[in-house]
Amino acid sequence: MHIMKPSLLLTGYFWLIVAYMIFPALIVIPVSFSSSEFLRFPPEDFGLRWYGVYFTDPVWIAATVTSFRVAVLSTVIATTVGTMTGLAIIRSPTHAQAPLTYATTIPIVIPHIFIALGVFILALRLDLTDNEVALAFAHAAVAMPFVVLITSAAIRQIDPTIERAARVLGAGPFRAFRVATLPPLLPAMVAAAIFAFFVSFDELIIAQFLMKGSETLPMRIWADLRLDISPVVAAVSGLLIVVTTVALACAEILRRRAISTLAP
Amino acid sequence: MKFRQILWLFLPATLLLVAFIAAPSFDLFRASVFDPDFTTEHFERLINRSVYLDVMWRTIRVSLTVAVLCTLIGYPVAFFINLQPRRRQTLLLFLILIPMWMSILIRTYAWIVILGRDGLVNQMLAMLGLATEPMQMLYTSGAVLAAMVQILLPIQILTCYAAMTEIDFDLIRAARVLGARPRQALARVFLPLSLDGTLTGLVIVFMLSMGFFITPALLGGRQDTMIANLIEFQVQRLNWSFAAALGVVLLVLTVGMIVALRGAGKLLARRVLKGGL
Repeated sequence: MHIMKPSLLLTGYFWLIVAYMIFPALIVIPVSFSSSEFLRFPPEDFGLRWYGVYFTDPVWIAATVTSFRVAVLSTVIATTVGTMTGLAIIRSPTHAQAPLTYATTIPIVIPHIFIALGVFILALRLDLTDNEVALAFAHAAVAMPFVVLITSAAIRQIDPTIERAARVLGAGPFRAFRVATLPPLLPAMVAAAIFAFFVSFDELIIAQFLMKGSETLPMRIWADLRLDISPVVAAVSGLLIVVTTVALACAEILRRRAISTLAP
Repeated sequence: MKFRQILWLFLPATLLLVAFIAAPSFDLFRASVFDPDFTTEHFERLINRSVYLDVMWRTIRVSLTVAVLCTLIGYPVAFFINLQPRRRQTLLLFLILIPMWMSILIRTYAWIVILGRDGLVNQMLAMLGLATEPMQMLYTSGAVLAAMVQILLPIQILTCYAAMTEIDFDLIRAARVLGARPRQALARVFLPLSLDGTLTGLVIVFMLSMGFFITPALLGGRQDTMIANLIEFQVQRLNWSFAAALGVVLLVLTVGMIVALRGAGKLLARRVLKGGL
């Protein structure tokens, strides 16, 4: 529906703001192909030197592997728990759905630094610091609300009578869920899992407080930026920008499909 | 579905949130007043030293500035997307979503590349012969502000956009039929109707700014320290109880300001709905 055609001025303004939002990230990519010792723009000569450093430095690789391990565990926890919660919310009485959604998505509004400090102080007393599993659970608690929001929106679009029919025809509750509700829900779950993965993979502060011995990738980047800003960070950033954009664009497409085409 | 089954489905989330959100929050409150016996010493220290009061005041001021800037910059962007045909709206939304997904650490790093001594801006100035000496742009409040607005802008645009899509465009058409000029229809009908969602966006951006840590630490100087940076500093110096007191203050200030902003927003909305702008 159009009330008016956007003026040339507004169009120009829109693209200017888009440039402001995207340009800083794009600038990192040419810098990552520089082969000089220092951060400089435009780079004097091009090469894959800093990508080489990243892939051969055991410290960077170890940090990446740690982050990956924590993020995978955290994603499994957040997706499982979040989908169960989304299902429980939609199957609850209508008037209870909004308060239940607020209650289970509350971590979204709490500053990460507050959660990080709380988890750290508690972990100190329970002697759980420097524990990757504890970190994965803390990340899962932060990521779960996003899973709840995505999956509950998708479950709302799924006709519950199909699952009831499966029950009537003699399937147990798990089987009925698996054959009737799970298949149409799967795209939303995959989307939610990708979002949850990057919540953990990009998270710095909780990891920074909780971990001492081993390092996650954001912790490694952070340490590097605080000491000497070497172009290795540009190479890592270049890789992450591409991976994140592709993965999350796929997730967003899946999420949109899950909440639109399934409508009865 | 039976009530018992629903309860079972809620159980894992309850356990996760109690163990990793509620219990740590409770422990943080406890640590702020027990060290190891009951004491208000940490809160007294916070109130009695002007350094700490400065940091609190700055955190609120910077967050408000960022929220207002994001609103002023973001509103026309959301409006522009809303004027497009449906299919193009989806495409344009992706342009807003892509920067939002990138890690804040990397987006902050990008600003170091741009504003650094040998960064993009200084190189360009030198090339154009506009500056003989590199300008100091990193470690300034302006750098922190530019980056925080850039990082949080997509969130405000998306919130405004969502609010605008809810507006019934027949109302605007009705205003036009009744003789309102486009500008009038926008100011008297569209703007008031989108106000509530815009204020929600402003509150969300404010809330997220209050906890900002990475950007002030990397792009700001000593004069740009925010509460979250102070917390990290105290944790490094093993002053956990004092850090906990700061955490409590951060949460209380954030929640208090959200309530105040919501109240102010309601008042504003009532005035706008009554008389237009």
